[in-house]
Amino acid sequence: MAGKSKHEFRANTLPAIITVGPVALIMLLLVAAPLMYVGVMSFCSIDEYYNVTHDLTLGNYVRLANTDYLKIYVQSLLIAFITTILCILIGYPFSYIIARSKSRFKRIFYMLVIIPFWTNSLIRIYGWRSFLGTNGWLNSSLVSLGIVSEPIDFLYKNGTTILGMVYCLIPFMILPLYTAIEKLDGTLLEASADLGAKPVSTFFTVILPLTSSGIFSGSLMVFIPCLGYFFVADILGGGNSDVIGNLIERQFQSGNNWPLGAALSIILIIVTLVLVKAYQKLGGDMDALGV
Amino acid sequence: MKKKIALLLTTMLTMSLMAGCGSTSKGAENGEVNIFVWTEYVSDTAISDFEKKFGIKVNVSTYSSNEDLLAKLKSESEGTYDVILPSDYTVEYLIAQNKLEPLNKEALTNLSNIDPAYLDEPFDPGNVYSVPYEGGVACIAVNTKKVEKEITSYADLFDPSLKGQIVVLDDYRAVIGITERAMGLSMNETDPDKLKEVEEKLLTLKDNVKLYDSDSPKSALISGDCSVGMVWSAEIALAMDENPDIEIVYPTEGSYVFLDNWCVPTGAKNYDNAMKFIDYMLSAEAAKTNIEDFPYLCPNTAALEMMGDEYVLNKAKNVPAEVIEKGEFLTYLGTDTLAIYDEMWTKLKQ
Repeated sequence: MAGKSKHEFRANTLPAIITVGPVALIMLLLVAAPLMYVGVMSFCSIDEYYNVTHDLTLGNYVRLANTDYLKIYVQSLLIAFITTILCILIGYPFSYIIARSKSRFKRIFYMLVIIPFWTNSLIRIYGWRSFLGTNGWLNSSLVSLGIVSEPIDFLYKNGTTILGMVYCLIPFMILPLYTAIEKLDGTLLEASADLGAKPVSTFFTVILPLTSSGIFSGSLMVFIPCLGYFFVADILGGGNSDVIGNLIERQFQSGNNWPLGAALSIILIIVTLVLVKAYQKLGGDMDALGV
Repeated sequence: MKKKIALLLTTMLTMSLMAGCGSTSKGAENGEVNIFVWTEYVSDTAISDFEKKFGIKVNVSTYSSNEDLLAKLKSESEGTYDVILPSDYTVEYLIAQNKLEPLNKEALTNLSNIDPAYLDEPFDPGNVYSVPYEGGVACIAVNTKKVEKEITSYADLFDPSLKGQIVVLDDYRAVIGITERAMGLSMNETDPDKLKEVEEKLLTLKDNVKLYDSDSPKSALISGDCSVGMVWSAEIALAMDENPDIEIVYPTEGSYVFLDNWCVPTGAKNYDNAMKFIDYMLSAEAAKTNIEDFPYLCPNTAALEMMGDEYVLNKAKNVPAEVIEKGEFLTYLGTDTLAIYDEMWTKLKQ
């Protein structure tokens, strides 16, 4: 009996430990442990010198219920929502055209979406700042072409924050949409046309439902990072419209109140989980998120 | 042809690699020193001069607020940094927490270059833990071509005619502090009732602020994106060099004054090298190089003598003594008060 279970261990458990073990260990050390740490820290307090002490308290969460923090949460959700809608409106036609195109440039178009990813987004956002500035390339071109007489004030508004967010996050919308649209069976479109549907009703009754999984996963992948991209709000928004990420960053840096920052992070994680759960309930495919 | 190009590329690559080796090995024979300083504040030339002269390799890291410095000191292991450069109230905080090593005054032979007016400050009586580097004030920059209103005080920044025109430091102690000065209060006000009034006043500034930027607020002034600024005096001095329409205004209420100081955190691994570095930074030659690059208030009289009239008479670079005298330092405030400050700031940023 003992011999048999040893044999079973060798045959079944040992390979499992060897293959899955390292991954599980890494996940435990690098994902689960830090999350636990953040979770515990969110209940800690601080002493008079802002050192974290282990007197457990709910005070941090009570402070978060303060309407000012809530307002920034709402503001951040609103920015994320508008960004997501814009990404769908721009990303859908774009993905549709490249996915359905028979052109030999199809691969190239696809690569053009991915290539900017290889440059740090911070640098690209700074690029936008110098492009849109009062003396930036865009304004000087407009003025010298005589289209406007005075430079236009583009920078440091909510609109510029959203522009930066859309720019940074649109590949996350295009890629899942591309996959969904490419899988679309062309014969279904022919059938729809043969049965007398106009292109518009084909789009709404056939194409859109069949590609909705792409829209769902793209939206999730745009919406969630949008809540945390504090550098876009700082650089293009000029610090006028904070997102949740700014609140967290501030507590860990200038505010120097780590437990409060941890509590803010936990709330962000909960918001994220709720969104992912809603996505699953709506029939979203977890594999499509790449997680 | 292709081969030739390949050969050329290989040669260039090898040469650049060798150049890389050269610069890393140079100056390492006497060990190293790890310094952690403000961004845009200590001249690279002064640092490389030190490396050449003493054969000590300097590793530089930077931060952009005192709070960043504190957060990093907390999260990095002790001994990561040998030299830091905190401002007045942060020195006070670090001393209270026993986070600083006393300085070896015998090694600091150049301390005599420092104007005694900047020694023995209340945040470190007797300069046991700190010696001054540079300082300055947060004052007002005005682009006279774009702004018609005459601006003389912090209070003027709240005028509705300046809607959407101002760049301010992204620093809550600075912005709330100047609001308090504009109301005739101290920048270190702790009375919760008065702070309620401060909050009301602060929120009237919201529409006037176009940009919050601490790293390089001069850029928005030079480019014309913002026509008024509440920023560091040296940023204004540099902006004035680039754009002659910009003028500096020292507010009538008395300015927010700061003094940054060389310190050694406890557990520093290269204490002796740290002393050599600090002493070199106190020398007239290094101080001169530093103010040439970053024209802040210079407490180093020996360096000032070498600078010539162009510098000494420029009131943005060489901040007048009476401005410093009328000004106010920040002090360290308790957690309860700072929580109120943080809430005000959050409201401002909605």
